[in-house]
Amino acid sequence: MHSKNKILLVEDESSLAKLVVKYLSDNSYVCTHVSRLKSARELLKKNSYNTVLLDLGLPDGDGLSLIKEIKQKDYTCGVIIISAKDGLNNKVEGLDLGADDYLTKPFFMPELNARVKSLIRRLNFEGNNEILIGALKVIPDQMRLVINDSDVELTNTEFNLLLYFTSNKNRVLSKTNLAEYMSSKYFDYGFSDDVIYGHIKNLKKKLEKSGAPDYIKNIYGVGYKFTV
Amino acid sequence: MKLTTKTSLSFISLSTIFFLIGSVFMYFAVRVILAEDLSSRLYQMQGNFIDNINSKNDINSASNQHVFINESSVINTTQFSDTVLIENDKYVLYRKICFYHNLQNKIYKVEILQSQAQTDLLIWRIVILNVALAMVFFFIIFFLNQISVRRGLKVFYSTVSKLENFNISKPELMYFENAEIDELKKLTEVLKKMSIKISSDFNEQKEYTENVSHEIQTPLAIISSKADELLQSENLKKEEMEQLEIIMNTTTRLAKINQALILLTKIDNRFYTDISVISIDKIIHEKLDFFSDLILEKKIILKTNICNTLDFKMNRYLADTLFLNIIKNAIMHNNINGSINILLEGNILQIMNTGPKLSNKENIFKRFVRSSNKDSLGIGLSIVKRVCNFYFIDINYSFDSVHRFNLNFKDEKKLL
Repeated sequence: MHSKNKILLVEDESSLAKLVVKYLSDNSYVCTHVSRLKSARELLKKNSYNTVLLDLGLPDGDGLSLIKEIKQKDYTCGVIIISAKDGLNNKVEGLDLGADDYLTKPFFMPELNARVKSLIRRLNFEGNNEILIGALKVIPDQMRLVINDSDVELTNTEFNLLLYFTSNKNRVLSKTNLAEYMSSKYFDYGFSDDVIYGHIKNLKKKLEKSGAPDYIKNIYGVGYKFTV
Repeated sequence: MKLTTKTSLSFISLSTIFFLIGSVFMYFAVRVILAEDLSSRLYQMQGNFIDNINSKNDINSASNQHVFINESSVINTTQFSDTVLIENDKYVLYRKICFYHNLQNKIYKVEILQSQAQTDLLIWRIVILNVALAMVFFFIIFFLNQISVRRGLKVFYSTVSKLENFNISKPELMYFENAEIDELKKLTEVLKKMSIKISSDFNEQKEYTENVSHEIQTPLAIISSKADELLQSENLKKEEMEQLEIIMNTTTRLAKINQALILLTKIDNRFYTDISVISIDKIIHEKLDFFSDLILEKKIILKTNICNTLDFKMNRYLADTLFLNIIKNAIMHNNINGSINILLEGNILQIMNTGPKLSNKENIFKRFVRSSNKDSLGIGLSIVKRVCNFYFIDINYSFDSVHRFNLNFKDEKKLL
């Protein structure tokens, strides 16, 4: 489903933009980068995008003004704010204006990927979507995992971890990255290595019990990798 | 004491002193004048007396109750003196002229007396009238002064109330009335300039902290993304991967410390000025709900005892920050199968949690002082402390088999 997904990145920091573009292209998105609001407006007039990644502090204005315009034109176009301004006001204002998500810099690319994927799923399938990966059937909106036609009971944390892995398959996810993903809801709650290790161990056990192959590989001292 | 009262009082007390001195002086001056007047009358009576006895050639015919005539052997100079007579059992002050007169080769000493009672009465009347007039005069001056000063200071009071309500994030609300009095005009001009300067400094500071955040976070994002990208390369040695993981970990940590420090700076710079009414009992439940997954995961037994509602006026974001951090602290530094006890009674909130004992409890609210838990930044409680200080909430920590945090929402102005 990715092959058709078009993403517009509005970001003035060119080195970060290059990274995002490369990363998203590698994940089979079509990503266009502009660094000014003006050029973003022109592109939005001509083309339609699935998702716009919007930085707030741009040289020719505040990105907030663009959100409304995007949403008025095409409601199914998702908007994710990526900003270093972590002020609650900015976040609330952005979400009030119609943004779908808010990611504070610095962020990990897999996290951005997971958010984009989940957003596109949300906007296009309206809750009736499943992710089929290997022997797994993941239904994000119902928080269900089905293996061999039977449900597997997972805790919230385990389910979110699995979703994160499936969004970033064949990729080394470092311990820091996983801890960040798990704690993003809790601000700077520090998840120690053993907590992450414990959750992943339980997840692996449950997958194994249900007869699924060992998809989650442990890369000692670094993190984990999900491969099918 | 008000300025008007102060100036009026000093004016009146000084005037009273000068007036009393003046009254005493006046008393004596009037006395001297009246005495001179009396003397000249006695001279006149002396002349009349001499004319009278010269024409009659009989000295005794002129004698009466106020004229005493005695024979004398010597002639002295004419003298004035005061004397007292008893009349109807009353002492009456008299002025006396004593002179010597030669009639038919005999020397007579003549004393003519003139009552001073009238003069005395006159002096007292003048003095009393003077005092009474002065009192009325002072009274009127005092009130006129109060009224005029009050009118003149009207601008001053309006300026003071404007200053009291000065909101640094809303400088446009500062409008000073124009004053007629030069001193006040100068004051309001200075205040106008000052309030403009304060709010522009404040805004610069605000921008600066936002910029610092932005400028530092973006490079950090690049570093960690690059490291993450490198980590995906094939054929990396185990040590190389571990080093990349350390780079990512450290960068993330740095970014968080930066964010926390910016938050502390923002609190210090009074960035969060919007106030709303926070229901403490509700926000506790809200945050416990927020962390319910973590509480469940650690198998923590949670007990809450909320005896009453408690409303407190503070900034919404700071309230969120305060309660997120203090409850997070109770979960994070807890044991598996531990417990958290929350008690809200009156204005006092108590949060108790099990957990390993701290070696250094004096420094618990200091920055970067952390427990053995290596994932803690050691900044959460210092943020808690800072928010508490900002709203005059007393916070203290003690340990007696459990960690105990006591928060006293004592500021009555912020309670509803």
